[in-house]
Amino acid sequence: MNDQLKAILEVLIFISQEPLTVDKIREVLGEVPDEELQAALQALQSDYAADNRGIQLVQTAGGYLFTTKPEHDQWVRRLLQIEKKTKLSSAALETLSIIAYHQPITQAEISAIRGVDSTYCLKTLLQKKLIKITGRKKAPGNPLIYRTSERFLQYFGLNSLEDLPKEEEIAKILEEEKQSVS
Amino acid sequence: MEQETQEIKDTQIPEGAPSFSDDGYQVKLEIFEGPLDLLLFLIRKKKIEIHDIPIALITRDYLEYLERKDQINLDREAEFLLIAALLIYIKSQMLLPREQELPSEEDPRKILVDRLLEFQKVKVACTLLREKEEEQLQCWKRTFLPPVARPEELELLEVDLFNLAETFFLLMKRKEREDFRLIKSKDVSVEDKMKEIVEYLEKQGSMDFLEYFAQQESLEEALVSFFCLLELVKNHTVVAIQEQLFQTIRVWLRKTRAHHHGYSHE
Repeated sequence: MNDQLKAILEVLIFISQEPLTVDKIREVLGEVPDEELQAALQALQSDYAADNRGIQLVQTAGGYLFTTKPEHDQWVRRLLQIEKKTKLSSAALETLSIIAYHQPITQAEISAIRGVDSTYCLKTLLQKKLIKITGRKKAPGNPLIYRTSERFLQYFGLNSLEDLPKEEEIAKILEEEKQSVS
Repeated sequence: MEQETQEIKDTQIPEGAPSFSDDGYQVKLEIFEGPLDLLLFLIRKKKIEIHDIPIALITRDYLEYLERKDQINLDREAEFLLIAALLIYIKSQMLLPREQELPSEEDPRKILVDRLLEFQKVKVACTLLREKEEEQLQCWKRTFLPPVARPEELELLEVDLFNLAETFFLLMKRKEREDFRLIKSKDVSVEDKMKEIVEYLEKQGSMDFLEYFAQQESLEEALVSFFCLLELVKNHTVVAIQEQLFQTIRVWLRKTRAHHHGYSHE
C-alpha cells in the first residue's frame, strides 16, 4: 500500500470545497497507475469508515468529499446552535423529482404532470441552484428547458443521475402498496 | 458545514399549515396540494382499482372536498376545478350511447388513468428522495471563505452560454439607450480585446463584466468584448460566474492557469 499517496489524497480532498473528481486528482498528481489510485482511495475510505472516526469520505456528485457521519448530527447542531435543518417543501420536492426523471423538461410539461402550475416552484429551485436552465426548446413559444444541477446530486448524496431510484424500484414499491391495500 | 441546506425551503405553501381553534388547540390538517393528490387519496381510501375507476362515485367525493374548501390549497382552486371538469367530461363520454363497445384503449378514462399512474410514480420518487434528503441533512460538510469574493459555488455556478446570452441582451438594451454624438472609427479585433481582458484579469484578479461592458467606448467595441468573453469561456481560459439570473457576471482566470491566486490562506 502506498501510504504517501494516501496521505496526499487525504490532503487534496480535505482542501477541496467541492467534491474532488478523479480527473482533478490526476491533473494534480500526474502519472499515477489507475489501480494504485483506486486502491489508495478505497483504503482511505475504509480508514475513515472505522467506528472511532467522526468523519467519513463519501462519493458524491462525481467526486470525493469529507462529511461528518450522520450519527453525530446532534453534536454539530449543538455547536452551531441550529435546531433543525429545513427540508424542501413537498411541492418543491415534487417538481424536483419530475425534473430529475424527465429532464430535459419545460415548465408546461412539469405542470401537466403535477396538475398544478409550477412556475413558483421552479423559481425557488433555481434560487437554491438545485436546477438549471439549459436552453430553449424548439417548440411554439420557445419555452425554457430545465435540468438538475450538480448541487442536486450533492444535496441528495448521489454520485450521478444513475444513482436515482430506478423505475423498477418505484414499480416494486407501488406493487407492494397495492398488495397491502387489498 | 453546509450553510446552503439551511436555507433550502420553499415559502410557497406551509405544509399542513397549523390553524388555531378557540380553546388554543393546535390542529394540523392535511392539505391537498393539487387535484391529483386528492384524487389519488380518494382512490386509495375507497380501495379502488386505478384502471377501473367508478367515475360517478369518485366525482361526487371529489366535489365534496372541493366544497368544504378546508382541505385543499385554495390558491389552486382553478386547477382543482379543471380536474373536476375533466371528471365530468369523462362521465359524459361514458354515458353516450354507442353502437359498439369501445376498445379498451379508447376508454374515456384513459387520459385520467395515465396521468394518475405517472403521478403515482412521482409520489414514490418523492418519498425515496425525501429519505435521501433526511440522510444528507445529517451529514455536514466543511465550508470556508475562499480568497476571492465568495466563489464557494465556483464549479456549480459557472454560467453556460445561455445565461451569458441573457445578460448580453440586457447589456445591449442598456447600450442602446445611450445617445452617441461622436462617431469614432476605431477598429477593435477580437484578439486584441481578448489580450486586454486577460491582462486586466491578471492585474485585477477578477472583473465585473457588466461594468466593463458599460465602459466600452462604442457599441462595436462592447460587442467585441462580449464575443471575447464567450471565446475565453469556451477555451477554458476564464471562469464566468453569475450569482443570479440577470445579475452581473464576474470573471476569473481559470485555476489551472499559472497566474492563479490560489488557496493563499487557511
